[in-house]
Amino acid sequence: MDKIYTTDRENFRKYTDNETFDKIVSYGTVGEMWKDCINKYAALTAIEDDGKKYTYGQLEEDASYFRPLLGEGKRAAVLCPNSYEFVKAYLAAVTSGNTAVILPPQLPADAVYGCCMKLGANELIYHPALEEKLATVKTAAPQLPLINVMAKADKPEGVKDSQPDDPCAVMFTGGTTGRSKGALLSHRAVMEGTVNGCYGYKEVFNQRYLLVLPLSHVFGLIRNLMTSLYTGSALYICRNNKDMFRDIALFRPTVLVLVPALAEMALMLSYKFGKNMLGPDLKYIICGAAAVSPYLIREYYKTGVLLLAGYGLTESANLVSGNPDSIGKPESVGIPFPNQTLRVVDGELWLKGDNMMDGYVNEPEESKAAYEDGWFKTGDLVRIDDGFLYITGRSKEIIVLSNGENVSPAEVEARFNAPSFIQDSQVFEDVLPNGGHILALEVVPRMPELKGVEGNVKEYIISELEKINKELPPYQRVSRIEVRDTDFERTPSMKIVRYRKCK
Amino acid sequence: MQMRREEIADKLKDILLSASDDPDVLDKCTEDAKLQTDLGLTSVNMLYTVIAIEETFDIRFDDVTVTSFDTFKDVINYIEKKLA
Repeated sequence: MDKIYTTDRENFRKYTDNETFDKIVSYGTVGEMWKDCINKYAALTAIEDDGKKYTYGQLEEDASYFRPLLGEGKRAAVLCPNSYEFVKAYLAAVTSGNTAVILPPQLPADAVYGCCMKLGANELIYHPALEEKLATVKTAAPQLPLINVMAKADKPEGVKDSQPDDPCAVMFTGGTTGRSKGALLSHRAVMEGTVNGCYGYKEVFNQRYLLVLPLSHVFGLIRNLMTSLYTGSALYICRNNKDMFRDIALFRPTVLVLVPALAEMALMLSYKFGKNMLGPDLKYIICGAAAVSPYLIREYYKTGVLLLAGYGLTESANLVSGNPDSIGKPESVGIPFPNQTLRVVDGELWLKGDNMMDGYVNEPEESKAAYEDGWFKTGDLVRIDDGFLYITGRSKEIIVLSNGENVSPAEVEARFNAPSFIQDSQVFEDVLPNGGHILALEVVPRMPELKGVEGNVKEYIISELEKINKELPPYQRVSRIEVRDTDFERTPSMKIVRYRKCK
Repeated sequence: MQMRREEIADKLKDILLSASDDPDVLDKCTEDAKLQTDLGLTSVNMLYTVIAIEETFDIRFDDVTVTSFDTFKDVINYIEKKLA
């Protein structure tokens, strides 16, 4: 039976002090928020990039000399790597009545052209470092105005007012499940996502954020950049992931927004070198975009860092829920953020809310298929206990066995991931040479946790996993266990690529 | 005093043992072993390796990507050159 859950921002009050909580206010548009930021934080550092610091006042001045180049009511494609210039271009576009179409900087030249056409871009802002990616656009669409992000108008132009329902940004999504699409986010949705990043922890304002995630992903753009600006914090842009720890030592961030694979790597490096690689001032790691293992939460807690897991989608302007009690409930993705309604239909999560997108750009079929009766169907299987949300799998990944039983791989994997020496696992349906179908398990071990094991390490792992297997309900038990020598194949956002051995 | 090639290789093997997901990685670690195909290093493993090398040898890599090195030997040569 369906169940409907409402949300309430008061659910988060007890996780911070009243003064901080009451400072978390809503804005209808990015322009409205930004005008307030300039007033309140003008002299504070907004961005540190490439050895330079830029205050909120300086960022606004630079944006003001860029706005006149963009016009109004246009879709401005933004093709820039993570940099101060990206921030300036994005802010200028969305505070001048334009929509920023964020293109991933790794796109090849043909795809840059294809995306500009498909997403209806009226102009293209580019960083000179990526000029070679304009080759196809220049020949196939010579009419498309190209704007160098370094260009400057003669006169400045202030923030233009928009309405909450006006389009703000188009973000790429769908890379793991199918064709890439552009999700259209209104000002209301972007601001809702931005404010959601403030709930569930104590120290919210005037923090020091370090950016390692791509700004072309909602987790980078909204949770990292937008929430940092909203809270008057300083954002240090790490230009190359390999310099992450050197940058951390220099900048001493208090908040890091990471995918689990990076959080795990930082922990392993800290163990190897016997020192805290994430700096002495770090208080929080905001972790999402893939499942977070309770092992990571517990290990970071020992070092005095709270790792807060969350759940979200590009289509929900990033954040749907965040876990303020990650130690008490490490398996949960937390409490749903305000101004949403959640409905669970046959285990699948459906959403309505101010944070939701207005459909996929120029994709009427895909947009229609994503909704039912006005609800956005997430495709994620969930349960809600005591107000806390748990992800139990993806509806598309459900394996239907020959006896009709349904197995959610993620649910079974969570059991096999429980020992600290298992880093990741994948449960999938495999076909035997005789045509029979079986459930199989592959695991990637966490080697430092196996140091004390004597004898054959792989045999030890398998014997421990077999014990877990025996405790599972019969239909969830796997018939084959394999310990991998290599990590699973991963997407650019470091999610595991699922096997599709049986169609 | 300059570090001997064998010393560099030993330290590098120690890093690979913690970077790799393969418990038998050291058995496969000949000078000509290919990092991606023979030793199975992914982009995350490689990032770990690069950072751990910088920390261990106190050197700085130039702009490096996962495809910058093909074999184990290439990495030793690069470190040797940097330390020279």
